[in-house]
Amino acid sequence: MHVLFVEDEVKIANFVRTGLKEQGFVVDYCDNGNEGYVRATENQYDAIVLDIMVPGKDGLTILKSLRLAGNNVPVILLTARNELDDRIVGLNLGADDYLAKPFFVEELVARIHAVVRRTSGDRQNLLCLGPIKLDRIAREVTCNDITVELTTREFNLLEYLMRSPGRVFTRTQILEHVWGYDFNPNTNVVDVCIQRIRKKIDPVEGSSWIESVRGVGYRFRKLES
Amino acid sequence: MVGLRSFRLRIALLSATLAGSTLVGFAGISWWLIYDAKVSRLDAELETQLLMAVRPRVQTNWQAYETSLHFAFGSNSQTPITIKAESNNGEILYQSSEWSGDLNLKSLLPFRPYQLLPPVPTFNKKSPISRRIQPPKLSQFTTQHTKNGIWRVGAIAFPRHSVAIAVSLNGIDREMATIRNVFLISIPILLLLVLGGAWGLSGSTLCSIQQLTAAIAQVTVKGLDRRVPIGATDVEFLELIQVFNQMLERLERSFKQASRFSADAAHELKTPLAILQGELERTLQQVEAESDVQQSLSSLLDEVRRLSGIVRKLLLLSLADAGQMSLHRVEVDLSDLLNEMLEDIELLAPHLEVQTEILPGLKVQGDRDLLVQVLQNLIGNAIKYNLPDGWIEINAYRQANVVLVTITNSSKDIPESDRDRVFDRFHRGDPARTRKVEGTGLGLSLAREIARAHKGELTLDPTPSGQTAFTLTLPSEVIPRHGVSSIGAS
Repeated sequence: MHVLFVEDEVKIANFVRTGLKEQGFVVDYCDNGNEGYVRATENQYDAIVLDIMVPGKDGLTILKSLRLAGNNVPVILLTARNELDDRIVGLNLGADDYLAKPFFVEELVARIHAVVRRTSGDRQNLLCLGPIKLDRIAREVTCNDITVELTTREFNLLEYLMRSPGRVFTRTQILEHVWGYDFNPNTNVVDVCIQRIRKKIDPVEGSSWIESVRGVGYRFRKLES
Repeated sequence: MVGLRSFRLRIALLSATLAGSTLVGFAGISWWLIYDAKVSRLDAELETQLLMAVRPRVQTNWQAYETSLHFAFGSNSQTPITIKAESNNGEILYQSSEWSGDLNLKSLLPFRPYQLLPPVPTFNKKSPISRRIQPPKLSQFTTQHTKNGIWRVGAIAFPRHSVAIAVSLNGIDREMATIRNVFLISIPILLLLVLGGAWGLSGSTLCSIQQLTAAIAQVTVKGLDRRVPIGATDVEFLELIQVFNQMLERLERSFKQASRFSADAAHELKTPLAILQGELERTLQQVEAESDVQQSLSSLLDEVRRLSGIVRKLLLLSLADAGQMSLHRVEVDLSDLLNEMLEDIELLAPHLEVQTEILPGLKVQGDRDLLVQVLQNLIGNAIKYNLPDGWIEINAYRQANVVLVTITNSSKDIPESDRDRVFDRFHRGDPARTRKVEGTGLGLSLAREIARAHKGELTLDPTPSGQTAFTLTLPSEVIPRHGVSSIGAS
């Protein structure tokens, strides 16, 4: 997937670029709005990640110009200043999603996947890992072709883990993605939820698709291909 | 002295007292002066009349003289006038029938020589007149009380006889009584007028103060830009209002400064936090799984997230303080949200007994993310501060044009002194501020700000002992008439 990333803060840009590349994205990066705008109009991207506060044309102006020109490329805004205001203006201008700093790169990846899916139809709605198939549109999970009944939270959690098999997620990360920003972080809700999912999808006790990483969190078992 | 706590009453009473004592004083003095003048006039007349008794007369002439006195004193016959004439050897020449025996003529002494003429010049020393006619001697005029009245008595001594006239003071007394009555009636009326006037005047003065009070009452966090209009205020209050307005200005400035400061601080913190978090996250994936390094990175990441959460809440709160919490309003189905969260209660606290009564289709216009935050905070608290083997009850219903969500849970009692403070920033039920119960103490404060930004309210309800209840009130979405909503939505 080809993504344009416009951000002036070098250190943020570094880890975001690294993170996106690890997830298999091809990232075009630029550190100012004017260049960003030129690139956005000249190339066909799958998604654009725009920081609102950049030198030159700011993120909102770029977004506005793109939409006025009839360019419907999915846009995710990164906001830091007066986040609510910017968020609202951005959404009204036609942004597809927003992410407030500081954010997890995993979250950005999830959002990019989500907006791309939303705009490009069914292309990536099916996640298949071993015997487990997860349909994002129908919100259905099957294990060895047997339907597994999952609650909303369980489904979201499984989907989040399955998207990056082998990648470690901390409890906080999971909590934020599945439950939202301000849910009381020091609870065992994640563990309980994982236990329930395991009971539903794991073949036998002791060998789980969702691995615990001691002292850190969880990851979906990476299949040796 | 509670009654005198009123400035208005005090002013009125004070002016009435001042005016009253002045009036009474003036009335007293003028009453006495009038009395004195009347008596002096009487004395003068008495003197004139006494001088007319220069010749000794026969009985009938004395009677005529007595009668003429009535005319002379110009009083009606009700004023008794009595005379007594005596020859030098003690023989009573005439005595009125009403002459009061206890009139003490001795007290009239000493007689003084009556100076009818100016002192005779020296060359006229041997004038036959001065030698022949000895000047009569007048007594002092005194007021004497007898059994039958009060008398003004005067006497004159001629060479061969002396005459005393006693005029009753009843007449003067009657006149003075009339004057006194006039005073007695007019003074209270005047006092009432003064009282009323002072009351009214102070009332109109206080009007300015009341305007000021009303203006001050409107000064809230959201109304700091208000100023008291100067308009047609009295000069005396001008300064007060000006000073007050200046104070408001300073207040507004420092408040804005404070809230801008926390907004700026929160903003400035975000970039380093984002970098910290990003780098931690990246390194976390690179180090060996389950290694000590990975574990400590993970806990560092958690702390960074906690910090981010606080920064985010502070920013929201400072926006709310500045009245700038803007909402991305969409239609939010509270019933769905709550049902979704019931799953969390089951996950988080399966031991709690949960009772719900959630009416379906409770829709409001609001910011979904923020409302989720409010409900999560309330439910989170209901779990955190619950008792072992406690219960939670969630009621959601519509009433008139508001939607109410009440979350009740069994808990320790919140001390009465803390009830007002649960919405305070950084307030936590746990005074030791230990981390046993997690949280920043910003949640409820922010939840209430969010509710208010939605034109709703979040309140701590009065409950029986052993439970805690919070109610979120939000304006209900106007229920559309039949069919309209589906057409509009499609």
